[in-house]
Amino acid sequence: MSIFDDELQQLKEKILKMGSMVEEAIKNSVQSLVERDNALAIKVIDGDRVVNTLDVEIDEESIRLIALRQPKAKDLRFITMAMKITTDLERMGDMAVNIAERALELNEEPLLKPYIDIPKMREIAQGMTRDALDSFVRKDKKLAMDVIMRDDEVDKLKHAVLHELAFFMVKDPTTVTRAMKISFVAQYLERIADHATNIAEMVIYLIDGKIIRHMALPHEN
Amino acid sequence: MLEQIELRVKGLNFYYSGGIHALKQINLQIHSNQVTALIGPSGCGKTTLLRCFNRMHDLYPGNRYEGAIHFVKDDILSPDVDLISLRSRIGMVFQKPTPFPMSIFDNIAYGLKLKGTKKRADLSELVEKALHHAALWDEVKDKLNASAYDLSGGQQQRLVIARALAVKPEVLLFDEPTSALDPISTAKIEELMEKLKKEITIIIVTHNMQQAARISDRTGFMMLGELIEFDRTDKIFTAPSEKLTEDYVTGRFG
Repeated sequence: MSIFDDELQQLKEKILKMGSMVEEAIKNSVQSLVERDNALAIKVIDGDRVVNTLDVEIDEESIRLIALRQPKAKDLRFITMAMKITTDLERMGDMAVNIAERALELNEEPLLKPYIDIPKMREIAQGMTRDALDSFVRKDKKLAMDVIMRDDEVDKLKHAVLHELAFFMVKDPTTVTRAMKISFVAQYLERIADHATNIAEMVIYLIDGKIIRHMALPHEN
Repeated sequence: MLEQIELRVKGLNFYYSGGIHALKQINLQIHSNQVTALIGPSGCGKTTLLRCFNRMHDLYPGNRYEGAIHFVKDDILSPDVDLISLRSRIGMVFQKPTPFPMSIFDNIAYGLKLKGTKKRADLSELVEKALHHAALWDEVKDKLNASAYDLSGGQQQRLVIARALAVKPEVLLFDEPTSALDPISTAKIEELMEKLKKEITIIIVTHNMQQAARISDRTGFMMLGELIEFDRTDKIFTAPSEKLTEDYVTGRFG
């Protein structure tokens, strides 16, 4: 393996490290809400610093490789996508922090209702994140397409959650603050799934050299 | 803008006198007013192909072409082609600057005189024009009678380009024109090529892939006498279609 290949491998490993940290943060943030676990919420909020550090390191390393190695073809696609993927991952980390912050607030108040659809959204969004990163590692186009398709399910669940919460708010105005916060959580999870979709789209560019973003895919109709 | 085709290579095969089959069934189109780069590992046939365009191989007996290279209405490879006229229409610039052992002025006037320009005033005007054209005028205007050998390597190369331009070629062939030059001179030649393509068509053979990426509009990747891939330069360097091209441009060859 050449030194350059080695550098690319290290870059990839850093992205995967960042990805698994973000995935863990998504899982823990929703768990801190569902299980009313404040310590876990604080762990998510603190952990974001490491994610941010990795984001900066990956950008710096990518810029260095572009300047010194003048990468071409698949190497160029890999490095430019590395920079974009970490931007999405970093945002996903921020969303997990937002969920943890809402959890800390909601955990202070009586439970509005058992969380049913939120954990489902979490499961799909987290699965999309994991599979988007897996498709990146294995250059698996089919898996990347599958991630893109799953975005719809999260959207549907979000609408169901918002609809249900609106019903609570109309019936009993004292629930408004809590219901709003829960609907934010649903919104954050939906955004996380969108970012996972972005990553999957970049994986397809990485493999095919075709940018499929903003094209009318079946899931966007 | 409608893209015109300057040269059409059809089913070109080339055999050196020793029998080596150096070019195998090459088909490609050179677009007018573009820079086309030929890249590939040593011995891939890129220089051999370049030399077909102005029949340089005819300097050695026994070399043999098959197929055709259409240039406007004519076939360059036809035995009836007047090689002197062909080489003034399709000029060549070599790796090492090749000034003649005479003054800067005479280097450029030489070809013009051969083509029939006799009057000193006409010659002066055309020499000055060619030197401007090759972005060399400002550096040599006060020493036109000095020997061409007094110029730096980069200046000599631009002098050679001016000499080729003086006889109004339609195509210029560059065979690794900057491999003997420093980065500043290289940048000057590259900038010159980008300007010149407004008026002429350029084909360049280069070992420097960055150079091909910087200055060419289209790139052909060759290997073992075959044209593996020919496409827009941005395509070749971002998402080539062929695995062999990808291996070569990413430096994972062999």
